[in-house]
Amino acid sequence: MSCEMTEVRAPEVNAHVKERAGTINPMLDCQPAGAQFAGIGIQDCIPLVHGGQGCCMFVRLLFAQHFKENFDIASTSLHEDSAVFGGTKRIEEGVMVLAKRYPQLRVIPVITTCSTEVIGDDIEGTINLCNQALKREFPERDIYLVPVHTPSFKGSHVSGYDEAVKALVKTLAKKGEPTGKLNLFPGWVNPGDVILLKSYLSQMGVDGTIFMDTEDFDSPMLPDKSINTHGRTTVEDLQNSANACGSIAMARYEGASAAKHLENAFSVPQILTASPYGIRNTDRLLQSISDLTGQPIPDSLVKERGIALDAMADLAHMFFANKKVAIYGHADLVFGLAQFCMELEMEPALLLIGDDNTRYKKDPRIKELKETAAFDMEIVLNADLWDLEKRIKDKTVELDLIMGHSKGRYIAIDANIPMVRVGFPTFDRAGLYRKPLIGYRGAMELAETIANTLFAHMEYTKNREWILNTW
Amino acid sequence: MPMILLDCDKDIPERQRHIYLKAPGESTKDFLPIANVATIPGTLSERGCAFCGAKLVIGGVVKDAIQMIHGPVGCAYDTWHTKRYPSDNGHVPLKYVWSTDMKESHIVFGGEKRLEQSINEAFDAMPHMKRMFLYTTCPTALIGDDVKAVSKKVMQERPDVDIFTVECPGFSGVSQSKGHHVLNIGWVDQKVGSVEPEIKSPYTINFIGDYNIQGDTQLLQTYWDRLGIQVIAHFTGNANYDELRSMHRAKLSVVNCARSAGYIANELKKRYGIPRLDIDTWGFNYMAEGIRKVCAFFGIEERGEALIAEEYAKWKPKLDWYKERLKGKKMAIWTGGPRLWHWTKSVEDDMGIEVVAMSSKFGHEEDFEKVVARGREGTYYIDDANELEFFEILENIKPDIIFTGPRVGELVKKLHIPYINGHAYHNGPYMGFQGFVNMARDIYNATHSPLLGLAATDIRRTAKAKLALKEVA
Repeated sequence: MSCEMTEVRAPEVNAHVKERAGTINPMLDCQPAGAQFAGIGIQDCIPLVHGGQGCCMFVRLLFAQHFKENFDIASTSLHEDSAVFGGTKRIEEGVMVLAKRYPQLRVIPVITTCSTEVIGDDIEGTINLCNQALKREFPERDIYLVPVHTPSFKGSHVSGYDEAVKALVKTLAKKGEPTGKLNLFPGWVNPGDVILLKSYLSQMGVDGTIFMDTEDFDSPMLPDKSINTHGRTTVEDLQNSANACGSIAMARYEGASAAKHLENAFSVPQILTASPYGIRNTDRLLQSISDLTGQPIPDSLVKERGIALDAMADLAHMFFANKKVAIYGHADLVFGLAQFCMELEMEPALLLIGDDNTRYKKDPRIKELKETAAFDMEIVLNADLWDLEKRIKDKTVELDLIMGHSKGRYIAIDANIPMVRVGFPTFDRAGLYRKPLIGYRGAMELAETIANTLFAHMEYTKNREWILNTW
Repeated sequence: MPMILLDCDKDIPERQRHIYLKAPGESTKDFLPIANVATIPGTLSERGCAFCGAKLVIGGVVKDAIQMIHGPVGCAYDTWHTKRYPSDNGHVPLKYVWSTDMKESHIVFGGEKRLEQSINEAFDAMPHMKRMFLYTTCPTALIGDDVKAVSKKVMQERPDVDIFTVECPGFSGVSQSKGHHVLNIGWVDQKVGSVEPEIKSPYTINFIGDYNIQGDTQLLQTYWDRLGIQVIAHFTGNANYDELRSMHRAKLSVVNCARSAGYIANELKKRYGIPRLDIDTWGFNYMAEGIRKVCAFFGIEERGEALIAEEYAKWKPKLDWYKERLKGKKMAIWTGGPRLWHWTKSVEDDMGIEVVAMSSKFGHEEDFEKVVARGREGTYYIDDANELEFFEILENIKPDIIFTGPRVGELVKKLHIPYINGHAYHNGPYMGFQGFVNMARDIYNATHSPLLGLAATDIRRTAKAKLALKEVA
């Protein structure tokens, strides 16, 4: 009896950079946008964007689209004369106008843009002049000016965020009495994630500080008409970041450099954990918190983990198995969600990461995905949304699900592929900023959202499968 | 009443010249806000940049053109998914934006090669698109890339494509207004006269300064069709690139938004002798008046009257239903500029609403001449208002409804004041007869929302009151 062996090709995980030079439908905004996002996370802070007015006005609109809230960000309103003679006078004027009109103001990150970096304005020198002027005008106030260099022609809003968090910590952190607190750098997440993270800390009995604390980016309408939409991270929090018992960076490219700085400058031990999307990554986070603080993981979290697993097990091999998924956006989110998808037996076949950071190639999560993926996976770095659209149009990838932010919505709509909105910005679905993606609960709720999205799609677009989601 | 110095402006007293409170008997000869001057840094103004005035407002609306933005990725990202102008070719302007994604090496060594490559890639990626708007941005203007030379080279190599260059970096001018101007003049200089239209009617117009917000253009087009008037070009709502090249063949330029597009109407008059007729298209009285003027120009008055009668019969009773319920409501308008003078009297005449405060981001003094002439006494007229001024004015006037952008809308929600999207509408279109009923409906729904009353209720007080009642019993 002869036995014919078919050679089975080993699955390939292929990571490469986008082939085109230009961009069609960018996945990410430019650096100053990210710096502004870090700035609004601080209490009594108004970032001052040194550039044309659009660099701040549109970013404010973007935040309003995503969070359905208004955030205060100022501009130096750069014009032609500054392009010729330099724009530092406009920083000086902007700082003084802000200080005079906003008596509560304590921090002004001065955020550069492409134009002011090309002109070559001396930001540090100007800040020195401003500090002297502030001391003269307001001897009783401490207003901290923080230089943030974010030329738009480098990186993306992801690196701009990282740069700003680092600059804020660098400028403000100072050695003092140990606080026993834990620094947490969650990266570019939503208020819902911050609230969940706080709940985990409290369940573990850990006193932590979150950089940046964006819980109030989801703020109420109150009978007294007060407006509480602002960051909760204080000047003192930033100063005391140097005196913490440790730091946990939850996003390699979004805030981790600040944790690294605190370790180098103030010997604050730090752990870089995988972004806590999915069960295993959340396990790693909680164990890291436990390692740094000595606090045990409580029964309540074991139970929450179990409930999540119980819910996910209902869905995984009946509905999710072998479903092909494309994920795009921030690297930390995309890699984390790819790992999460694999826990659910889905196949993240196409990952698109939207900027030219050369460190992505060496990301250990790519190695991990290579070792575990039992299917072909393409990872496109420096990708744009055309990379996704083109592959769908050319049928080089057949997708069951797209996960990404709202800027890619038309691809899913036109191709009639179910889409779950994740990341930033998500302006075409209600309330997503409130829903956590991290942690056990985030994993469970995201899995259920995916399931319900697929079910609705089945019911409205398919002939036979609609009956399957009764189980 | 002189110009007003608000409390929040005591440290920037120059703002007094920008804020006017109209008193009885005053005319624009006496007082007029200073406008179109540079914003004070750090004031939290609402203004955008000149690039956005060119790309987001006008050029980006053109439905069959690649929008190539030569600069870092943010300028493209930020002027995409922020407006509501549909198009009848699958909403291309909403779906796509193109960027050369400039990096540091291009800043150092020049970005022309990068631009050429990106243009070719864009045409290759979507071979059915043969037209392009090409914009410079702050850094590419600063390093002096010769975008005209690059576009010329590509057009020589690809004879079937046409490229329009807009050199309008974000730092030029004081607001988006500069970008409107640069694009208007550039289009007349570079493109008008290069395509001959097919003339199908003795009555031909350009319809200028309408961007098809939620279908405005498409609604008004049904009127022109019924009147037998051929629109040679819409500048730029739902427009084709090539129809805009043939604007020189219209007999009349009908202008709605004089601020963003009056320039091109003036140039068409100067260069091609096409008369300019300004009309208002928001409001029943205004729309009817506009149709009468256009029809009078062509001597087809009876067609106009028939259309107006038909539309009035259909929509006026609906409008009046709302008018009865909106009478005396106080409204603030916090938008770009022209909508102040388009709306202040039309909402008063057609809906009985009183406009009590208006701020313009990028209007010029001639816009304020119009709005102060049309507006009420006791109303604030503000140029380039900033956030603290906004709070103070709101406290003074206590409006029932605010027409503004979504971000400011989120802010005033916390103050229990409803907003309507004054740029992109809530549920438009708002132009024309049907459109104005839509606008009245949206105002009615917003001002009658039960949620606002609930937001003002303090349940703690209610509980206390209940307790007190119980004790009395």
